[in-house]
Amino acid sequence: MAEVLIDKLCKSYGSAEILKDIDLKVEDGSFVVLVGPSGCGKSTLLRCIAGLEPISAGGMTIGGRQVKNLPPAKREIAMVFQSYALYPHMDVKGNMAFGLRFAGTPKAEIEARVAEAARILQLEPLLKRRPRELSGGQRQRVAIGRAIVRKPQVFLFDEPLSNLDAALRINTRVEIAKLHKLLNATIVYVTHDQVEAMTLADKIVVMNKGRIEQAGKPLDLYYKPANLFVAGFIGSPAMNFLEGHVTGSGRVEAAGSGLTLRLPSSCKPGDKVTLGVRPEHMNLGAAPGPLLQAQVDLIERLGETGYAHLRLPTGQVVISEVRGEPGHVTGDSISVGFDPVRCHIFDAAGRRIE
Amino acid sequence: MSRTAYLLLLAVFLAPAVIIYSTFSIYPLLATIFNSFYDRQDDGTSLFVGLSNFTTLLSDPTWSAPFWNAFRNNCLFFLIHMCVQNPIGLVLAALLSLPRLNLRATYRTLIFMPTMLSVVVIGFSWQLILSPLWGVAKMFLSFFGLGFLFGPWLGEESTALLTISLISVWQFVGIPMILIYTALLAIPDELIDAATVDGLNQFQAFIWVKLPLILPTLGLVSVLTFVNNFNAFDLIYAMKGALAGPNFSADIMGTLFYRVFFGNQLQLGDTSMGSAIATMMFLIILTGVMIYLFVIQRRMHRYSF
Repeated sequence: MAEVLIDKLCKSYGSAEILKDIDLKVEDGSFVVLVGPSGCGKSTLLRCIAGLEPISAGGMTIGGRQVKNLPPAKREIAMVFQSYALYPHMDVKGNMAFGLRFAGTPKAEIEARVAEAARILQLEPLLKRRPRELSGGQRQRVAIGRAIVRKPQVFLFDEPLSNLDAALRINTRVEIAKLHKLLNATIVYVTHDQVEAMTLADKIVVMNKGRIEQAGKPLDLYYKPANLFVAGFIGSPAMNFLEGHVTGSGRVEAAGSGLTLRLPSSCKPGDKVTLGVRPEHMNLGAAPGPLLQAQVDLIERLGETGYAHLRLPTGQVVISEVRGEPGHVTGDSISVGFDPVRCHIFDAAGRRIE
Repeated sequence: MSRTAYLLLLAVFLAPAVIIYSTFSIYPLLATIFNSFYDRQDDGTSLFVGLSNFTTLLSDPTWSAPFWNAFRNNCLFFLIHMCVQNPIGLVLAALLSLPRLNLRATYRTLIFMPTMLSVVVIGFSWQLILSPLWGVAKMFLSFFGLGFLFGPWLGEESTALLTISLISVWQFVGIPMILIYTALLAIPDELIDAATVDGLNQFQAFIWVKLPLILPTLGLVSVLTFVNNFNAFDLIYAMKGALAGPNFSADIMGTLFYRVFFGNQLQLGDTSMGSAIATMMFLIILTGVMIYLFVIQRRMHRYSF
C-alpha cells in the first residue's frame, strides 16, 4: 500500500474551474472519504487520482512516484464504479481476470488471485455467472473483487453504495470497513452520504465548489467545524445557525434576545457573529445556558428520539432534539436552551472563532 | 363488459391492421405462391401443373442459366454489401462516437444524406459521373495523374455489377452507421472507464468491450442487408434497365423476375414462371432469415446496462 500526495492540483474544463488548488495527503493504509454536495468536484478529484481525467496544473504522487502523466493502468490503482461497470458479456471470473490477462499476468497467478478474491468476498459459487444473473449486492462484490485482484496501491470508490437499497447499504458499508482492515488498504472513497463518511473514514475531506473546506478526523469535523459550510454539512439534522452581533463582553444579541456566552477575547462589540448549535445539544425547558422563547411548529417522533421544529420570535425555525415522549403539541409556547460550551461561534466571513 | 362486447371490441381494434396487412401483404404473397403452381394457357385458362414450373426453372437450360446467373450475381451483390458497406458503417459509427469530435451532427447528416435521396436520382447522377465521354470521374482521376485507372466501369461485364454494388453501398452506408452508432451510445461511459483502468486503450476497449456488446445490432444489420439485397431491383433497373446488361452481368433476382413476369422487349410476360421466380426469392429470403433467427440469434445475448 502507499500514500497519495496531491499537490496544488487544478482541473478545469475550458474556462470552468472544477478543482482549485487541491492539497491533500492520503496516509498509507488510511481510509479517506471525500464528501460534499453535488457538483462540488469530489468525483472529478477521484477521477483525477485514477487518471481518467487529465489534471490541468499541480502534481500527484502515489507511493512516492509522480503519476501526473501516467495512464490509469500504470498508476497501480483500482476503481470501483457507482454503476459497478461490470463487463456484461463476461462471467464473474472473466470480469475479475480481464485486467490481469491484459497486463500479461501468468495464468496460474490469475487463477490464484481470482480464487483469493472470490474467497474473501464469498463469490465462489457465482464465478460462472454473468452480471445480469446477479443481485445488486453481488454485483457490488464482484466490482470490489475486480479491484482486489489487481493488488493496487490505492483503492478508489466512487459512490459504491448509492445503487443499493437501504438495508443492503448498511451491510455493505460494514463489509467495506472490514475489508479495509483485512487488506490494510489505502482507500479514497467518494460519497454524498455523511453517515457513510462518518462511519468509514479515518479522515473526511469536505469539499465545496472545487475546494477543500476542511479535512480531518470525523469527530474533529463534528466537534470543531472550521467554517459554516462544514458545520452545516456534517450532522443530521443540520446545525442551527443564529445570526447575531456582539453587544458587550461575553454578550451576544441573537434571535431576538440577549444571550450570555463565553466569547473569545478577539470579539469586539459590534462584530457580526453566527452562533451554531446542533439539534442534539439543545434542550426543551431548562438548560445550563441561555434560553430562547419559541413556539412549537411540529414534532417529528422517531421513537426513542424526536425532533421539535421551533419557531423563534424572529420567524426563524430551529430544530431541537427531544428525548423520550415530549408532551408538547403544535402551537405550544416553550423555552429552549443550549449549553454555551457546545455552541460554535463563527465570524462574519464564516470562519470558526475559538 | 360482457364477453361478446369484449370480443367485438377486440375485433374493431384489430380490424384495420388485419385488413391492411392481409390485403397488401398476405394476399399477394399467397396469390403468388398459388400462381406458381399453375400454367396459363393461350386461351386464357389456367392449368394446375404442380411443381413443374419449378422443375423447368431449375433444370431447363433456357430458364436455369439466367436463374443461376441472377442468383450468383445476387449473392455477390449481398457479399459486397456485407464486406464493404457494413464494416465501413461500423468504422464510421465508431468514429462518430469518439468522445472528442467536432461537427458530429454535420458528419452524421452528410453521411446519411444519400440514403434519403431517390434511387433514380442516385443512379442517374452516378451514370453521369462515371460516363466515359464527359464523366467527372475521368477528369478527376486525370487531374491527379491517375487517368490510366479509369475505365468504362458500368459498360464492362467484369465490372458492372461491382460498380453498381459500390454505388449502392455508398448510398446506404448511413443505415448500418446509424443503427450501430445508436447501439454504441447505449454503452455506458463507466464501462469504458473500467476498461481504461484495466489497461486497455481506446482501440482495445472498442474491440474487447464495445464490439461484443453490439453484436446483436451487427446481426440485425446483417439480416436487414440480406433481406434488402435479395429484394433489390430499383438501382439496377434505374441504371441498366430491365436487361441489367451488359450481357446480364448485373442481373439479379429482382430484375430477372421483372423481365419474366411483366415481359420486356420481345420477351412476353409469363405470370406463372414469374410467380415461380418470386416464390423462389421468398424461399431464399425465408431460409436466410430462419438461419439467422434460429441459429445465430439464439446464441447471442442482448445486454441491458
